[in-house]
Amino acid sequence: MLKQTSSLAIASVPVQEWDEVYTPEKSLCEGTIFPNLNLPFYKADDGGSCAAETDPAARDLFQISCIGFMINDLTLYLDTHPDCPKGQSLYRKLLQERLNQLSEFAHSHYPLTQSSIVTGNCAEQKYCWDEGPAPWEGGNI
Amino acid sequence: MWCYEKRLQYPVKIAKTCPQTAKLIITQYGGPDGELSASMRYLAQRYSMPVKAVGGLLTDIGTEELGHMEIICAMVYQLTKNLSEEEVVDAGFAPYYVDHTAALWPQAAAGVPFTSLEFQSKGDALTDLHENLAAEQKARTVYENLLRVIHEPDVREPLKFLRAREVVHFQRFGEALEMTKEKLDEKNFYYFNAEFDKQFLKK
Repeated sequence: MLKQTSSLAIASVPVQEWDEVYTPEKSLCEGTIFPNLNLPFYKADDGGSCAAETDPAARDLFQISCIGFMINDLTLYLDTHPDCPKGQSLYRKLLQERLNQLSEFAHSHYPLTQSSIVTGNCAEQKYCWDEGPAPWEGGNI
Repeated sequence: MWCYEKRLQYPVKIAKTCPQTAKLIITQYGGPDGELSASMRYLAQRYSMPVKAVGGLLTDIGTEELGHMEIICAMVYQLTKNLSEEEVVDAGFAPYYVDHTAALWPQAAAGVPFTSLEFQSKGDALTDLHENLAAEQKARTVYENLLRVIHEPDVREPLKFLRAREVVHFQRFGEALEMTKEKLDEKNFYYFNAEFDKQFLKK
């Protein structure tokens, strides 16, 4: 377990302790999975409000973004807390969920990664760049 | 090696063209405290880091910053999509437009081009980690300044998300600094340079 040291003439930051994480949707909306690291700015302290999606592909993509983001944030936590059992067990659970989501998305809509062409059992003509919108084409189409 | 995933880390769906807002936000693409600068800083510093896990953290945060660059670029792209010639002139967007039309090019809000002079890779783990702590704070300030002057909800949501990431990254660099200290002389952290005088590092 990493310990914080306190000495003259050098910066020091307390080491974060594990905190129960937000739900996947709340995590993405707040920009962190950890309530104890959620420190909003008063000019923008109205909570996150991720838009609800109606289109099935957009709705599924949003779920992938929520789980994907939880993994991103947890990865950085584990980089500095590699021996945290709660973090490690959540990490494994989320990684498996993400693999399933990517396969299902490729199967029902279009592949987001090269490997999901295979895991999603895509038809031969389905290639990553041919199907679905480019990531930067969100609104204003 | 990097693998691409065909989605943004945080969704960007901006309904209305607004070149004035694009002119401000582009600074987080190519400006002094922008995401490109952040990514290049961390990905450059990682090679010579004396603590393996810190090199790993720099890889992971540097990678996330590339994803943030993509979010910012998507915002600028959507804010300048379907521009009319009148909008170009009325919004004061003409100086950018004549050089780049409505394409993406990394520059600061005031037009200064992207430059690696904005960040450091100093070859001293303590110096570089302090630089990174400061970099996250500077980027947080920029996002807060943007949030003070931009009122469209569909532009504010991704900015709030990106601001929140700066706070989390600051925490992780703080912890990386503690991990590095564990390898140093606890009576004098400045007795040697952890990246150059490796013979003194604690096992």
